[in-house]
Amino acid sequence: MSWHNFSQEILDKFPGTSLFSRRGNEEYLLVPKTQLTEAAQLLTQSGAVLSTMIATDERPVYGVFRLYYVFSRDEEDRFIILVVNITEPDLTYPSLTPLIAAAHWYEREAMDMLGLRPIGHPEPNRLVLHHEWPLGVRPLRKDFNPALQEEGQKAGGGEHRFREVEGEGRFYVPVGPIHAGIIEPGHFRFGTAGENIVHLEARLFYTHRGMEKQAEGLDFRQGLKLAERICGVCAYSHSVAYCEALEKIAGIEIPVRAKLLRTIFLEMERLYNHIGDVGNICAGTGYAFGSSQGGRLKEAIMHHNQLLTGHRYLRGINTPGGLKSEPPASVLLELPDWLDDLGKEFAQFTEVLLSNPIFLDRVNSTGITSLEAVKELGVVGPAARAAGWSRDCRKIHPHAAYSQVDFSVPVYTTGDVAARLKVRIDEAGQSIHIIKQCLEMLEPGEIAEPLGHLPPYQYALGYAESPRGEDMHWLMTGENNTIYRYRVRSASYTNWPVVPLAVRGNIVPDFPLINKSFELCYACLDR
Amino acid sequence: MNILYMILQGLFLLFLAPLIAGVVKKTKALLQNRRGPHLFQVYRDIYKYMKKDAVMSEQTSWIFVFTPYLVFASILGAGLMLPVFHPVSPWPFSSDLIVFIYLLTMARFFMALAALDTGSAFGGMGASREMAVSSVIEPALVVTIAGLAFKAHTTDLSKMVSSFMVNPNGIFTPNLLLLLVAFYIILIAESGRIPVDNPDTHLELTMIHEGMLLEYSGKYLGLMVWASYLKQLLLYSIVASVFLPWGITSDPSLIGGIYNLFFYLVKVVFIGVLVAVTETAFVKIRLFQIPELLFSSLVLSFLSILMEITVGGR
Repeated sequence: MSWHNFSQEILDKFPGTSLFSRRGNEEYLLVPKTQLTEAAQLLTQSGAVLSTMIATDERPVYGVFRLYYVFSRDEEDRFIILVVNITEPDLTYPSLTPLIAAAHWYEREAMDMLGLRPIGHPEPNRLVLHHEWPLGVRPLRKDFNPALQEEGQKAGGGEHRFREVEGEGRFYVPVGPIHAGIIEPGHFRFGTAGENIVHLEARLFYTHRGMEKQAEGLDFRQGLKLAERICGVCAYSHSVAYCEALEKIAGIEIPVRAKLLRTIFLEMERLYNHIGDVGNICAGTGYAFGSSQGGRLKEAIMHHNQLLTGHRYLRGINTPGGLKSEPPASVLLELPDWLDDLGKEFAQFTEVLLSNPIFLDRVNSTGITSLEAVKELGVVGPAARAAGWSRDCRKIHPHAAYSQVDFSVPVYTTGDVAARLKVRIDEAGQSIHIIKQCLEMLEPGEIAEPLGHLPPYQYALGYAESPRGEDMHWLMTGENNTIYRYRVRSASYTNWPVVPLAVRGNIVPDFPLINKSFELCYACLDR
Repeated sequence: MNILYMILQGLFLLFLAPLIAGVVKKTKALLQNRRGPHLFQVYRDIYKYMKKDAVMSEQTSWIFVFTPYLVFASILGAGLMLPVFHPVSPWPFSSDLIVFIYLLTMARFFMALAALDTGSAFGGMGASREMAVSSVIEPALVVTIAGLAFKAHTTDLSKMVSSFMVNPNGIFTPNLLLLLVAFYIILIAESGRIPVDNPDTHLELTMIHEGMLLEYSGKYLGLMVWASYLKQLLLYSIVASVFLPWGITSDPSLIGGIYNLFFYLVKVVFIGVLVAVTETAFVKIRLFQIPELLFSSLVLSFLSILMEITVGGR
């Protein structure tokens, strides 16, 4: 079924539906509230995956709140976006969560930030704004005024209730939000029977930074600085996703050289993350050899990041429309040899690792995620591929120069810590392969295309496969080159909910290892 | 004289223990291509703890305050039973290994009580794990000591050393070597080292020994930490004087003492390095496999005893 036919089918089947807009590979369909569930059902049955959901306050412009459910049609590199208008005073809409579990956090966040109420959501509790926030504060509404919120407003949201554990010998084990070591805040509430974990509840979003709100009204060049600071270790992926969304809105094609260089940097980011994570997984098992080798190689890669871009975390090199500056020619020249050496050293390291029987015993069959759970929750990145879901944003929605390079997507089916480890090891090898291809294709030329003036109230998706999976950004422009609404759905956002499922049935001392095998980011939630 | 000897040995062990801990840390660091902390850093840490105020949960009872002193005293008392300067230990009436073990066990018992006393989740977890592990360590240790007793016809440490030191190369009999391996496994488990426990982790959920200390601070923490270094040294010392009986003389003069001391230091440092190598080469095993590891120690000791009974150790 071709894509036009498919959206046509929706339009035919649901008379109230109309074509809303179209941009590149995105097709927006306006669906009446009452038909949202059926339309979404049709989409999921066809194999479309819910990639993100955006809630906006467009009252100053169009007089409505809007929800955008973004479905990805993987096999044809398309997005079908269901748009729902929500008009005051009835701020409710039918929840999609009972149908698509992956929608659960999106809808809760829209409730916290905009006050839009999903009817039929199985767990309509606060998510982003904890109970300490005053009742009725909706930060993403355009008429939200922080100055007015200061006075006389007490925390009114009641108290967070954790799930009860019942039965003899069953206990709560509360961990965090403050941890030993340098870890971001997150509270984990284990229900245990002896050493066995009966269930785990993770409470996150402790340090909400209001970045999406901050972006509103900002000049788009300033917005980039914000995007690069969403997360430390995925800074470049976020930056690419942001820039691609803007470039799509401006309708420009960036120069080939810029595309290739962006691909190189994206893969450098994947390399240092994956190799560092392999070391971190070793640290989780107390394997000193592994953690020090992983740390050493990661440092070498980050040093090369600095040589290439002037920044260890690859910040400040991107600009909407391309790149800000050329990497030094001498560094590019010696990069292939250095990559070969790195590949050899990493291969040696992983050979030792994967032949250590005690280490393998620790990682094998620990923290298993099933393929069904992964698909249901819309998990992305290595976590999905380790459970047998061959889904990589670089293949299904090629960005940067990924359509021009040859690489494979490693997939394992066991879904345990070992599988996530092996996916990373294999992907690191592929990254080296990709960078070398890009370096060969690299020809002198322009590295940036001016964006010009941005049309107001236009919107587009931008995405990039970060080391943790697909980062999905959505941007709507305002007047005078500003941002009207900026929505970030990072890989960690979709992957966190699967951690408690992976942990269930394991023993308490294995939790740090399982958690490290996902290597999720807290800051990516605290936008 | 005897009292002077006791005081001297007590002080000596107390001040040597942090150094040996430092040796293990430094060796580990060097094996991991790190520079590592200074050899004397452990002394500085203990000094720092001793100066600091202790913060205590309101939920605690007298057990929490009492335990560090008791742990420290009982382990130090056990230390006085060891032959260090002389094959005969300074403890005036007994240097029986059984007493030695149960002094350590008493310390452990109170440590677990104190960990439960605060009511914190990590303390309870640490205590329950420590007790589970020790329920396997203890039989293994007792059987190992039985094996030694069969060989030396005594459970008294001083007499054991005196009988082994006559013929140091007698260690190279299959049953003593088996006992050595069995005891080494116990030593690793007792001193909370990889593959059983990870002394350097910050991950509360994986801790055993450290989990029990999490609620301690200030001088109480200092005492507990110091006691655990001391306990580690005592275990090394048993290996040094029983299983490696070279360089021991019964000459009661000053020169004899210095001779004994020198070789004692060499052996203890050697064992520390060995432990560091073990810790670097191994991965921490799954919690539920710790009993299996310790059972292997038990089996080795049994084998050794069987050998001693059937073929007389030859």
